Amino acid sequence: MLVDLLSSQIVRTVMLGAALVGGLSGMIGVFAVLRRQSLLSDTISHAALPGVCLGFLLVGGRDLGAVMGGALFTGMVAAMSVLAIGRLTPLKTDAQLGIVLSVYFAIGVVLLSVIQAMGGGSRVGIATFLFGQAAALSVHDVRILGAVFIVAALFLLTLWKEIKLVTFDPLTAEALGLPVRHIELGLTVLLALTIVAGLQMAGVVLMVAVLIAPAVAARQWVGNLGAMTIVSMLIGAFAGAGGALISATGRGLATGPIVVLLACAVVLISILAAPRRGLVWQALSAQLARRRISGDRVLLAMDRLATDHDNPAYPSEKGMLETMLGRPLPRVMRRLEASGLVRPVAHHPESSPHWVLTQAGRRRAEALRRTGHGPE
Amino acid sequence: MAAGSDLHEPGLALHIEDLTVRYGATVALWDIDLDIPPGRLVAIVGPNGSGKSTLLKAVVGLLRPVAGHVRIFGQPISRARSRVAYVHQRAEVDWDFPATVLEVVTMGLYRRIGWLRPVRKTHRRAAMEALAEVGMEAFAERQIGQLSGGQQQRVFIARALIQQADLVLLDEPMAGVDAVSEDIILSLLRNLRDRGKSVVVVHHDLSTVRRRFDWMALLNRRLIAQGEMHDVYTPANLKAAYGGQMAVFADTDAEETAPSERVGGQL
Repeated sequence: MLVDLLSSQIVRTVMLGAALVGGLSGMIGVFAVLRRQSLLSDTISHAALPGVCLGFLLVGGRDLGAVMGGALFTGMVAAMSVLAIGRLTPLKTDAQLGIVLSVYFAIGVVLLSVIQAMGGGSRVGIATFLFGQAAALSVHDVRILGAVFIVAALFLLTLWKEIKLVTFDPLTAEALGLPVRHIELGLTVLLALTIVAGLQMAGVVLMVAVLIAPAVAARQWVGNLGAMTIVSMLIGAFAGAGGALISATGRGLATGPIVVLLACAVVLISILAAPRRGLVWQALSAQLARRRISGDRVLLAMDRLATDHDNPAYPSEKGMLETMLGRPLPRVMRRLEASGLVRPVAHHPESSPHWVLTQAGRRRAEALRRTGHGPE
Repeated sequence: MAAGSDLHEPGLALHIEDLTVRYGATVALWDIDLDIPPGRLVAIVGPNGSGKSTLLKAVVGLLRPVAGHVRIFGQPISRARSRVAYVHQRAEVDWDFPATVLEVVTMGLYRRIGWLRPVRKTHRRAAMEALAEVGMEAFAERQIGQLSGGQQQRVFIARALIQQADLVLLDEPMAGVDAVSEDIILSLLRNLRDRGKSVVVVHHDLSTVRRRFDWMALLNRRLIAQGEMHDVYTPANLKAAYGGQMAVFADTDAEETAPSERVGGQL
């Protein structure tokens, strides 16, 4: 079944197109995430719907060029509406975005209903722009997507260090005299172009997730912008191609949700399992730190007892240590024994367990006392 | 105004005349006249909201004033960029950004390196030297998100040092910084001044300003006073700047630092 699908020319075209869209979204999404433009991206993609409908009406059918042109137009008009509202009213950014998103999306849904009510063969494809249908991608469409991908990649490559600085620290970029406004405008246009290119596959409703999820996942694994961009691109391409393949197996299965679910699965795994930033890693290292601290407390307590008794080899009794530290200590003591910091000793005539600090244990306790690391 | 090449007040590191800045209807700075001689360690002091940060931003051209002009060694900022380094407040950037310490320091050279040219080994070497000056060379390959507040500030100062500017402007470099970093920063600033550079620092700790700086401008939207520290640091001037908040002046160690600390870090 899978082999049948993969050997089909149509399926391969669709997968290539979806991989291009996913890769492009992953690449540009990095900058949307780092520049905190997730909500703006969502607004642009919802606001693209009226443009899709206008393009559809103008050409009288589904032509990716016309649809993309219309979508880019209303998407950018929406972005400018956000800017204008910000300048003219005291509304906060999230409210501005929320209002613009809803208004343009509502207009889009009205236009969509009008087109569907007109009937005829043309109305068939239009509703797929809501949730995406990669199966509708033609060889011609894939060429357009490839061109957008190359333009985006070239833009990033030629202005790489300037884009990096503007993304991280626009104030300093401007103080250095870089044309920050122009670079930001370029990035925003590229963002809109990416969103518009992805609509056919992902749909206006879920496009933002295709943009954001790969970047969020990538950040978990790598610590520099170049690597993050490449990893994000690969995750996006994987989710795109995988989503297209899965949706090709089921009749009428929308592509967008599948791609989004795949990408979000990668995000979930990344948030849990990534080294250092992952939750599992952090929980483990927190536990290690707790263990070390409780061991250190015991060492300091034994050290104090030894000092109080003027006897470096003073045998500390279990009950005494537990009283000093206020809790039972069997596991801590076993760990300290295992790491050679304390040694169990018998202390006649008492039968309860006793320990003395070993040479290494004394050294560590002394270091703890001196540097102040480890609690009192 | 006369054309092109002629200088206006070239003997001053910073000359500000009639500067007025407005945010919407709010006047942030009103009619500021300020002349800072070269080679001094200058504190700009005033209560919260008195326009200290705004003043620096207007000087480096991040804000467009509604009136007045600024000259740096006699030139407008557009022609003096290579002679000025600006260090904004630490919280202005997201410290979770994926970059190493060395990478951030080399950013100070991006303009000089020029379009289409990559960062080269010589640039990284210069960045290492700047890091050594702030005592951070051991952190070169560290993620910036792993730094403490004081270390972050030192990285930003290294990025300013690498620009080899003649006028260095810093916005609250000692706010919310550990004692070690504070000492390092202060001696760096003094060192810059001793090498003939002009250093202008927004500072809001009145209890330490007299010991640390040798020249002061007192600001509260208007300029209250400017000049040598011992001439300006007077009860009358401080009262004029701080008004009812005189407790600040009476109790020399009560000043709190760093109003809003947002240290980006790991999850």
